[in-house]
Amino acid sequence: MIKVKSTGLRGAANVCSHNGRNPLTAMFACDETVLGQGYAIYCLFEDCHAHDIQVVRAQFEMDEELKYESLTPLFPAAAWYEREIFDMFGIEPLNHPDLRPLVLHESYPEGFYPLRKKVAVDANIHGEREFKIATAQGEGLFEVAVGPIHAGIIEPGHFRFSQAGEAILQLDAKLFYTHRGIEKAVEGKTVDEALFIVERICGACSIANTLSFCQAVEKLSEKSVPRRAWVIRTCLAELERLYNHVGDTGNLCAGVGFTVPNNIGARLKELLMRCNEQVAGNRFLRGMIVPGGVLFDIDEEKRNVIASTLDTVEKEYERLVQILSEQDGFLNRVKNTGIVLKKTATDLSMVGVGARASGFSRDSRKDLAYGIYPELSFDVITEQAGDVYARLLVREKEVRESIKLVRQILELINSEDNSGLRAADLTYRAEEGSWGISESARGSDLHWVMLDKNQKIYRLFVRSASYPNWPALPVALHGEIIPDFPLVNKSFELCYACLDR
Amino acid sequence: MNINLYDGFLLPFLQMLLLAAFAPMVSGIIKKTKALLQNRRGADIMQDYYDLRKWWKKKTIISPYTGFVFMLAPFMYLLSTMLAAFLLPNMMSNLTFGDIFVFVGLLAIGRFFMALSSFDAASAFGGMGGSREVYIATCVEPVMLLAALAAILKSGSTSIYTMAMNSGTQLNVAVVLACIAFFILLLAENGRIPVDNPDTHLELTMIHECMLLEYSGRLLAVIHLASMIKNMLFIVLFSLIFFPIDLHLVIKVIITAIAIAVMESLNNKMRLFKVRAYLLATGGLLLLAIVAQ
Repeated sequence: MIKVKSTGLRGAANVCSHNGRNPLTAMFACDETVLGQGYAIYCLFEDCHAHDIQVVRAQFEMDEELKYESLTPLFPAAAWYEREIFDMFGIEPLNHPDLRPLVLHESYPEGFYPLRKKVAVDANIHGEREFKIATAQGEGLFEVAVGPIHAGIIEPGHFRFSQAGEAILQLDAKLFYTHRGIEKAVEGKTVDEALFIVERICGACSIANTLSFCQAVEKLSEKSVPRRAWVIRTCLAELERLYNHVGDTGNLCAGVGFTVPNNIGARLKELLMRCNEQVAGNRFLRGMIVPGGVLFDIDEEKRNVIASTLDTVEKEYERLVQILSEQDGFLNRVKNTGIVLKKTATDLSMVGVGARASGFSRDSRKDLAYGIYPELSFDVITEQAGDVYARLLVREKEVRESIKLVRQILELINSEDNSGLRAADLTYRAEEGSWGISESARGSDLHWVMLDKNQKIYRLFVRSASYPNWPALPVALHGEIIPDFPLVNKSFELCYACLDR
Repeated sequence: MNINLYDGFLLPFLQMLLLAAFAPMVSGIIKKTKALLQNRRGADIMQDYYDLRKWWKKKTIISPYTGFVFMLAPFMYLLSTMLAAFLLPNMMSNLTFGDIFVFVGLLAIGRFFMALSSFDAASAFGGMGGSREVYIATCVEPVMLLAALAAILKSGSTSIYTMAMNSGTQLNVAVVLACIAFFILLLAENGRIPVDNPDTHLELTMIHECMLLEYSGRLLAVIHLASMIKNMLFIVLFSLIFFPIDLHLVIKVIITAIAIAVMESLNNKMRLFKVRAYLLATGGLLLLAIVAQ
């Protein structure tokens, strides 16, 4: 960890990023006034060669003015993080190009900074602030407002299109409608209590969030996780990636009204989720992973269920892929639509399918090599075009990789000695920050945890996979027409709940 | 021409009501077939009747920003569609006054009023839907007249009845080409895939549904009924004039409905600006059909 004063943040970040070669993975603040230190801003840079994350910590003195030189002009990826830090802590980035509120909507009063320690978790607030939405003005231009309530069963988000006819000039999204304050709610809870909340941050990334959180706290403990537990964890993580990717492939087709593949995707996803139910007792694989290991084994009966489901799904998924690759009308819609250039992907530090489809090879399973992934054989799938079709291809190929991985892991569980499922009675080092990361279907999920002297959570920061990818959506829509928005949106498969943590 | 009240008015009127009565069921057959093709069980074939009843019972909310056009448009749409149904050749008598140009013109009146009402409430979606509908209409209407021309040249008359009498019992290139072309027109005119998606509620991609966003309750029921009748009209017209095999009308209608469902399941919605090229190609097919005659 590199510790600097608040004035040195910009320089230190520049050094740590190796002139932008190491992507900015996350940036957040922590109110350490209770520990007698003032506020701190943490910047995490991913060092792919060292398989590690470099942490820069910028310290504000107790009575120092909460202002620093913004990192956004150097790293566009910092834009949202700095806005969120300003909303939540009131630490102001100077010369930030767009410092509008991000998380806190109109109903919050000015000068209310919820993540400061002196703000009570149940603070009763009423207020009004300005929440500006970016629009374009001019002769013949008009706005189209969509949401926050949509015609489908999706989460709330408001999209404001500035239109010149059918062409999109600009899109601004107002998100964070159902922000749950999870990062605040877990403060003062024990690790085991917090686990239940973390597991429910997002339905589709339940395992990824739990795994990241557990890895973060396990690094603060002396005990190591048994190997068999890691094998089972990896199996669960790949099952989660698999059902998401299969469902997302089908969902993409709904964006162009291609109903038959849409329903094939939904049916296959259902098969996989029923398999999950037999493995974990619930469709989202919850309740399996805990700090120190896993709670339940995957016995032979469950292994057989997984193996037979994989065989069925693999066969039928190939059929789905074939339908999609042979339908000219479909290819016409997805090719050259919603292009994200590699430069954009690296500038925004995108993750997951969105990054890999633009030629930005980034996969935390390889880059940070956690758990037993280094022992397994799999490829990081990349495409160069950056359009909707590239994102679809990446998903299709990753489904094959995930199936391959689960099969390898099933072999490993078979041949495994009994190294135990869980290291019990973990104690954690206090007042030390620690990160954990895992690759969800949408990209890497990063958690940062710090505990206090009573083994309670002092600060939890969650950077879910959708967070760095959301800002890429308006960029991908430049020059597109408004009826293509649902298609482009679905190709990223961005999650609202992951922001509303 | 000597037309008595019974043959000239009562029978066509009865037939018009019959068409209107069965229109939701044909729409139900399409939806059911689509559901089955998607591995779904799907709603009851009668579901559209239940939906109409539901909308009829619901309260109608009218935006305070609308004018009289908003109230008028659904009824003009229904009325013009019903009148067009009145012009279809009568199965029970042999009257010949249904003219294809009047038929196309009546449908254009209905569309004109719907497009007018779409931006009456001044919502961005309505205007978007209206402009898209008119854009597609400008592509569809010339091609439709070309289709009419193909039928006119064949039968030597602009009367729908004469056309139906002269429809192709003998299978040749011209008949098949005209059949394919009119089928594509039918899909485009009735807001079906690949031009529009009748089942979607993705606001940004809709065309026909976009125009209806401000409507609720009884007015919505009227519009939906009119749309179903229009759909039915085109299916009947297709069955009468362009269907290449000689079968009973009811069977032809059911086969056409199933064919629509299959076409909708095989394809996805095309890019909005590709519609022009798509209908241009349809026009090309029709020209070939005319030449082949």
